[in-house]
Amino acid sequence: MSGPTTHIVDDDPAVRDALQWLLKSRSVQSQNWGSAEDFLTFAGSGLCGCLLLDVRMPGMSGIELFDRLRALNCRLPVIFLTGHGDVPMAVQALKDGAFDFIEKPYDDNALVDKVLAALEHDVKRCAREDSILSVQRKLEQLTQREQEVMHQILAGKLNKVIADELGIAMRTVEVHRSHIFEKMQVRSAVELSQILGLLGNKPGAED
Amino acid sequence: MNLGPPTSSPERTSRWRWLWILPRLAFVLFVGGVGLLLWMSDQADREEKRATLTSDILWLEQNLRFHLARNEELLGRIDLAHTASAKAFESFARTLFGSESGLRQLIWLDAEGQVQRAHPATMDPGVAGEIMDTPPSRQSFRLARSLGKPVYSSAYPFFTNDWQFEVHVPVSREGRVVGVAVGIYRIREILGDSVPWWLAERYRISILGDTGKVLGTRSKIESAVTEEGYQVAFDPPGWGLTIHAVPYHAPRPLASILLSASLVILAMIVLWSLWLLRRHVQRRQVVEEQLRQEHAFRKAMEDSLDTGMRARSLDGEIIYVNPAFCRMVGWSAAELIGRRLPMPYWADDYLDETRAMHDRVLAGEGPEEGFELKFKHRNGNLIDVLIHEAPLIDARGRQFGWMGSMVDITERKQAEERARQQQDRLQSTARLVAMGEMASSIAHELNQPLAAISSYCTGAANLLRNQTPATEVLPALDKAVEQARRAGQVIRRIYSLARPGESHFEKVHLAERVNAALALMDSEIRQTGIRIALDLSPQAVVDGDPVLLEQALFNLLRNAIESMRDTAPEQRQLAIALTCAEGYASLTIADHGCGIETGVAGQLFDPLFTTKSEGLGMGLAICRSVVENHRGRLSFEASPEGGTLFHVLLPLAPK
Repeated sequence: MSGPTTHIVDDDPAVRDALQWLLKSRSVQSQNWGSAEDFLTFAGSGLCGCLLLDVRMPGMSGIELFDRLRALNCRLPVIFLTGHGDVPMAVQALKDGAFDFIEKPYDDNALVDKVLAALEHDVKRCAREDSILSVQRKLEQLTQREQEVMHQILAGKLNKVIADELGIAMRTVEVHRSHIFEKMQVRSAVELSQILGLLGNKPGAED
Repeated sequence: MNLGPPTSSPERTSRWRWLWILPRLAFVLFVGGVGLLLWMSDQADREEKRATLTSDILWLEQNLRFHLARNEELLGRIDLAHTASAKAFESFARTLFGSESGLRQLIWLDAEGQVQRAHPATMDPGVAGEIMDTPPSRQSFRLARSLGKPVYSSAYPFFTNDWQFEVHVPVSREGRVVGVAVGIYRIREILGDSVPWWLAERYRISILGDTGKVLGTRSKIESAVTEEGYQVAFDPPGWGLTIHAVPYHAPRPLASILLSASLVILAMIVLWSLWLLRRHVQRRQVVEEQLRQEHAFRKAMEDSLDTGMRARSLDGEIIYVNPAFCRMVGWSAAELIGRRLPMPYWADDYLDETRAMHDRVLAGEGPEEGFELKFKHRNGNLIDVLIHEAPLIDARGRQFGWMGSMVDITERKQAEERARQQQDRLQSTARLVAMGEMASSIAHELNQPLAAISSYCTGAANLLRNQTPATEVLPALDKAVEQARRAGQVIRRIYSLARPGESHFEKVHLAERVNAALALMDSEIRQTGIRIALDLSPQAVVDGDPVLLEQALFNLLRNAIESMRDTAPEQRQLAIALTCAEGYASLTIADHGCGIETGVAGQLFDPLFTTKSEGLGMGLAICRSVVENHRGRLSFEASPEGGTLFHVLLPLAPK
């Protein structure tokens, strides 16, 4: 939705502000959140950018927030800020799919470098997520009958066979086929199969 | 005290039974022998009496016969000169009567049988006529005249209670019988004349007729005749007379009676004493059996005990040990009994202590509540034992030793030690966790502003590198300064926690605080047996926080007490001196503990430095902090007597 933003979640306003200042000095756009709960009200699956997350916070902890985001299917890359005693916890988070962690006290520019790496990583992810989103949107435009015909096409069947199986005229199949290609913005069955491949095993139909 | 195993009882009783037959047999033999002896002597006595009686009677018969024969001869000598006159006849008769012949009357008959002369001549004619009718017997006269030999008549009664008989002796002259001399014997007279007194003493002598009728008796007492007598024919009269002698029932000789009686009494005494002895032995056997059972019972009890038992004589020699004790120390009873000092199971490292306790017990001053010692098993392992000693009293109430019971408390002690170490570790871990928690929270508090400062500065530097105008950089620097101040406040807060202000200072009597701190450690002091020498000046009054000062004193005193943990009990002494001089109160705490190694002296007051396994390393740091907060000084030095001296110098409160 919005551009790549670094979300900073830390209970200490000074630390938040300083980090924002630091990132701004390297032209990284950032947004501050005072607690995990605040961020959770905002977070969704379509976010792009990265998340700088303090492990130790009053209320919901950083780790807990991380788990909640995974559950919400928010794939935002997460960089944990850990104190001395929290390293094992951060390592575990890393195994669970966090992007990185950095131990306090940290080298500030190294932190920024990690943020930049995370942002770059997220650009690709966001692009793929965007195309998946558009394919899904295109699929949603297909009628029920068009979807049925599309499945037959993807199965590699000839128009005649499709007409026979669905009990419709061959002419009708050809009309549907041209509609499908138009709506999915593809020129061939091969291209159609490619863009649907982005969805993985999750096509629009229930097959 | 070493009581051997009792011999098996069946064997004993059978032997005893056999033994019992002997005295009985001997007794029966003895009584039988005595009885036989008595009977035999009695028999011999009787035989002898009988022989005497026979010979006496035979002698008597001979004597009588001799008299009769002599009288016959004398009668035969009568001649005419004697019969011529009554006077001559009388004198003849008198000579005849005089020699105890038994003759009582002499009659001279002529050849025709007519009485010519008679003496005594007392017979009046009337009576004589009567006499003449019977005596002298015609038949005997005729027989004598015809035979020419003396003839005796049969006995006939004379008056009522006497009997008499006659002897007819023919007298011949020139072959012709001229007359017959008749002598009349009276039986009573014969007996009286011819039985000597000594015979009459012994026997009742009677002369019986042919029908057994008693014709005459010579006797003293009538009734004393019991036994049958001896009878011999009194032949010369020829008419069936017999002499019958019955011995008087002579009392048996006193000696023999005494002998028999004493034998019987002796036998009875022997029997009685045997019976007494038997009863005594039986009672002994019962008691012995009870004793054996009691012994077996006690032995089983001792053997089953898990508690070691050891008895010592008054001079310390081992006189008894039970199996549990042997198991405990690994030496057998045979090796231990008779042992003297030092015992093989004494632990080498505790010899002096063990010896001292041994002497105390033998002197009767052992602790009544028992005491703990370390013994050495034969395999070298040390064992902890809890010992109770009690005097051993013999049957007469005299003490002859000491009985000690010991319980192996090694495992208990080890468990206690383990539990204590575990507890210490737990406490120390908990304290460390708490400390870590606190340190971590302090670190976090400080980390935040530091991290912010770092970020601001880095950001500012980044901007300045990009030639950003200073005005844009400035706010970041301002904020960094602000964060630096914040960090300073955190640190100040920590300080203020550690050092309370002087606001609640008051007058503090140091002597009171020392006593209060000691009171807090009262139980520990009593447990470790530390002796405390106090010399406290009441003038030492300072301005300060009483609670903090007491805490500092408490820490110092506890260190001193704990340093003496490994010191020998008798040397555990703590000297506390409080003096006032030159405006300062000076407190000196002198222990006899392990002292301070020179290597660690420099670090002694550093926080988190400790020599104790469970220590935090805050005690002395707090002490110094408190003392310095009171404008005082804390120092230490090695004591010349061993251990450490701690000096606390505090300014006295202005008066």
